[in-house]
Amino acid sequence: MDCELAQQKIALFAYGELPDDQCHLLEGHLTTCKRCQEEFAAVQALQQAMALAPTLEPSANLLAQARLRLEEALDTMPRSGWLMRVQQSMFRGVSMLGRAPVAASALLVLGLASGGWAGYLSALRSHRPPAELPAAIAGPGTIANVTSIVREPNTENVEVHFNRLVPETTQGSLDDAQIRQLLLVGAQSQVNPGVAQNSVSLLAGECEAGHQCADGPVRNALLVALRYDKNTGVRLRALNGLKPYVAEDMRVRDGVLEALMNDEDATVRSRAIELLQPVEADSSVREVLHTVASEDDNPHIRTVSHEILDQSPQIQ
Amino acid sequence: MASEAWGRATETELIREAQKGSRTAFEALVRQYDQPVLRLALRLTGSEQDAQDIHQEAFLKAYRYLANFRFECSFYTWIYRIVTNLCLDHLRRRKSRLEEQSVVVDSSGGEMDLLSNISDERAMANPERELERKLLGERIQEALGRLTPRERMVFELKHYQGLRLRTIGEMLNTTEETAKNTLFRATRKLRTTLATLR
Repeated sequence: MDCELAQQKIALFAYGELPDDQCHLLEGHLTTCKRCQEEFAAVQALQQAMALAPTLEPSANLLAQARLRLEEALDTMPRSGWLMRVQQSMFRGVSMLGRAPVAASALLVLGLASGGWAGYLSALRSHRPPAELPAAIAGPGTIANVTSIVREPNTENVEVHFNRLVPETTQGSLDDAQIRQLLLVGAQSQVNPGVAQNSVSLLAGECEAGHQCADGPVRNALLVALRYDKNTGVRLRALNGLKPYVAEDMRVRDGVLEALMNDEDATVRSRAIELLQPVEADSSVREVLHTVASEDDNPHIRTVSHEILDQSPQIQ
Repeated sequence: MASEAWGRATETELIREAQKGSRTAFEALVRQYDQPVLRLALRLTGSEQDAQDIHQEAFLKAYRYLANFRFECSFYTWIYRIVTNLCLDHLRRRKSRLEEQSVVVDSSGGEMDLLSNISDERAMANPERELERKLLGERIQEALGRLTPRERMVFELKHYQGLRLRTIGEMLNTTEETAKNTLFRATRKLRTTLATLR
């Protein structure tokens, strides 16, 4: 072993990181080389000096404070409801299915069969004559739900409490608070996908134009659409609406990272990378880019991720 | 060995429960790791306030992204990866603001007396010696402050936390070889800096 190599190995040797065969070679070199002996002594002296100096330990108070703060922060985080957990487990399941073609094929066949059976049952039901509503219930709007039923004892009489849905119409500017509120409700409509698409598109347009998107509900609506909407166009629209806030809002950045990691559509993932480029120095962004650069199915996305990482400030 | 295997099995159950949404399970996981996390953050930032911020941010990130944890590495490596990234961000921001910190500050912003945290029984037996230790500690803090964030992190994890360089490489998303070279540079720089500070 020559001196240049020995000097590089001495620190590793002092920290017990050198393989046994190299330890043996280094020890042999140290018996004859004065310069390397001095180097070794210097590293040992450094370790001793470090050992003598007082070390910082978090006090019990600091730990208790940190735990309390964390608990309070967790209390304010939105609890993941059963719907979110189901969707998260579906996302995990879908990503696992990507690696299980046989299981994926079996599921596809099962899905088709279930769909066919459901269609058959639906056709059967559609041939039954619709029940006629008694005249007393007919009225404006449809029945939304029944909230309670009370039977009068020893009689055939029952009292039913129910709610109606009464259609209404309003109009106004996109800056109007009431219109915004209605758009936020519309963005979550699962009954009518067209309404949800329109709502998200309008809200995203407002954010892109810089019109009063500083409040949480609009960004939240776009983040939810980005995460859960089945329509690729809607998710893309939501992404574009969130663009102005990627740099300043950590939640938005996390939502875009989530889309980059998990969205099934390559166009959405590509767009997410473009949005993240200004914040490439963020360690979370680099972490995700590293993963995507090696694991994404789409070659273009892998290439772009590599390029961004290469352009990032040199890792020290 | 059996107790280690049992410990890992228990932790796996806790993680799975936490992934299903159990706050109790997540808090049990936090309890297992929050002290070393806080210690690492405190040593790297030198500030109780910053250490608490990093502690909170790390575990909130863990809570948010726990569903993405697929047991491809240990939970210990995973949580440390989050913490080291946050600490590196902090060190880089401080470097870019050209802040040098050779003293440690408590949560009210006042300078901390490092001697007050010493668990050494002989702490007050020899005041002169303890003063020397304190001065040495300040010089070491200054020397550590002159390392790059990456060098500081590798040295901290190796020297003070005693982790293997292979593990350190995994945590920092790099190779063991890079971690070795970084340790070599860090020890060289520290020796040179401490020699000039005498």
